Amino acid sequence: MPGSPRHHPLQGGWLRRAREFSGFALPGLFLYGVLVLVPIVWTIVLGFTDRTRFEPQTGWAGLGQFSRLFQDDQFWLVLKNTFVVTLIVVIVPNVLGLGIALLLNRESLLYRLLRSVFFTPVILSGIVVSVIWQSLLRPDGVLNAILVDLGVDSGPRWLSDPDLALYSISGILCWQMLGFCVVVYIAGLNSVPKELHEAALMDGAGPLRRFRSVTWPMIAASVTINTVMLLISGFKVYEHILVLTNGGPGRNATASIAFDVIEKGVRGDRIGAAAAEATIMLAIIVAITGVVLRLLQRREVHV
Amino acid sequence: MISRFQVVRPVFAVALTALFFFPIYIVVTGMLKPADEIQSSPLGLPAPLTGENLEAVFGREDGLFWSSLVNSVQITVLSVLLLTLSSAMLAHYLVRSKARWTKPAMLMLLSGLMIPPAVILQPVTQVLDAVGLMNTLPGVVLSNVAYYLPFGVFVFAGFIGTVPVDIEEAAGIDGASRLRMFWQVVFPTLRPAAASVMIFLGVWVWNDFLSPLVILGPESGTTVTVGVYRSVGEYSTNFGTLYAFSFLASLPVLLFFVALQKQFVAGLTAGSVK
Repeated sequence: MPGSPRHHPLQGGWLRRAREFSGFALPGLFLYGVLVLVPIVWTIVLGFTDRTRFEPQTGWAGLGQFSRLFQDDQFWLVLKNTFVVTLIVVIVPNVLGLGIALLLNRESLLYRLLRSVFFTPVILSGIVVSVIWQSLLRPDGVLNAILVDLGVDSGPRWLSDPDLALYSISGILCWQMLGFCVVVYIAGLNSVPKELHEAALMDGAGPLRRFRSVTWPMIAASVTINTVMLLISGFKVYEHILVLTNGGPGRNATASIAFDVIEKGVRGDRIGAAAAEATIMLAIIVAITGVVLRLLQRREVHV
Repeated sequence: MISRFQVVRPVFAVALTALFFFPIYIVVTGMLKPADEIQSSPLGLPAPLTGENLEAVFGREDGLFWSSLVNSVQITVLSVLLLTLSSAMLAHYLVRSKARWTKPAMLMLLSGLMIPPAVILQPVTQVLDAVGLMNTLPGVVLSNVAYYLPFGVFVFAGFIGTVPVDIEEAAGIDGASRLRMFWQVVFPTLRPAAASVMIFLGVWVWNDFLSPLVILGPESGTTVTVGVYRSVGEYSTNFGTLYAFSFLASLPVLLFFVALQKQFVAGLTAGSVK
């Protein structure tokens, strides 16, 4: 924080302050208020009503929408699906990403090129990634053709087997996010002072010991960034599900909570029910992100 | 003597990357093959090359590719410009102002970083409907600006915190107007932050799906991302053309990435090395 100077440019008469506020802060704050904050409040309010799209008479429903959701098996299924995807997406790219970062953390043209390859899916849209994988994972698609060549009788039904489809979607998300973790970890690894490694080496620490005592604590900030980013991306997963399975096979076998909210409230007409579910979604993401940030930042080392 | 690991590392790294790259290889080779060859030899290199899949996308009778490309470019350019301007000014105001309300305002903005679009989309369409911006490009642009504002403010605010306040004070004493001083003195020092804001938001807005799908609606055209989604059904038997459409829809961000790779990585890692 800079010190507090006596003649700060943002001080002055109220007229000048008002002009500065309306020039600098108002446009952004106004848009954010109208198109983000008001909609959040509106969603929460609508969750307590029985609003539908085609019936203009909207009445208060109290906690009715919420209690209906809690008694609905489909809601718990959708919530479970969301947690499964999020858990896989938080763990797998984080772990593999660190491994690949350690592998590719060398300065040469070859390794720079390999790192770019890993980063490519990160900048593709979820729709494009899903369209690609859908063609690969068809029952008679490329992946199963390879498996048959390798001697498997018939490949799995990646996207139409209800026991497998959710894991296929999670795997595709992991593939897309992996490069993000790789790049963030490589930057983290490069920020570890060389002297620390040398000192540990002099003390006779082996590679594992050096990783645990030097590298791991020093890349804590990278772990935080990756974990929070993966958490948010996994929890809001929508387009991949829409393209790959449209929530199926069967009823909601792969539907996530974001998918269900859009199905009910935007593509469907049950606005009140969708708003109640969106409110629960909001509460969960705020709670989890808050807890995770606090836990992870506690172990970050500040140099 | 070269140790064994010095040989193993590059070989293993290349093999692993090739495995990872496999889906992209299928797309890029597949779009250059005739339809029957995608089925008969999906793994082989395309020989001879055919441009028929790309031509099929360019020459669609409904002009879907070209019209959605125009929409995507307009939405992305306008959203990114407005976002860069408004988030730089707002971040500067919030960091430099001594008013007591700026801290909670900053917190409220930053918590917007984790709001999933699904939570607010329905009310957003109602707000836009009320002011007559539903099914219009400006409607999509304004909702983008509001939704991504926290990210812009987050990046700029972090950066402004590291810029010494002295230059601004000197200019302030000279009596320059605040706005002019901001653009002539402050903004040039924020260029690295502006670069990462523009790069990331450019890619995100280009790839956005849900808000253009719902806010633009079917009548007012689509963006390229929505165009890929809309055409999936038509190409269910012709993957070459679907690959070509997907590739062309991604080409602008891919070129952008190749050209600005260094800034990409710098922006991504600014937070992880502090």
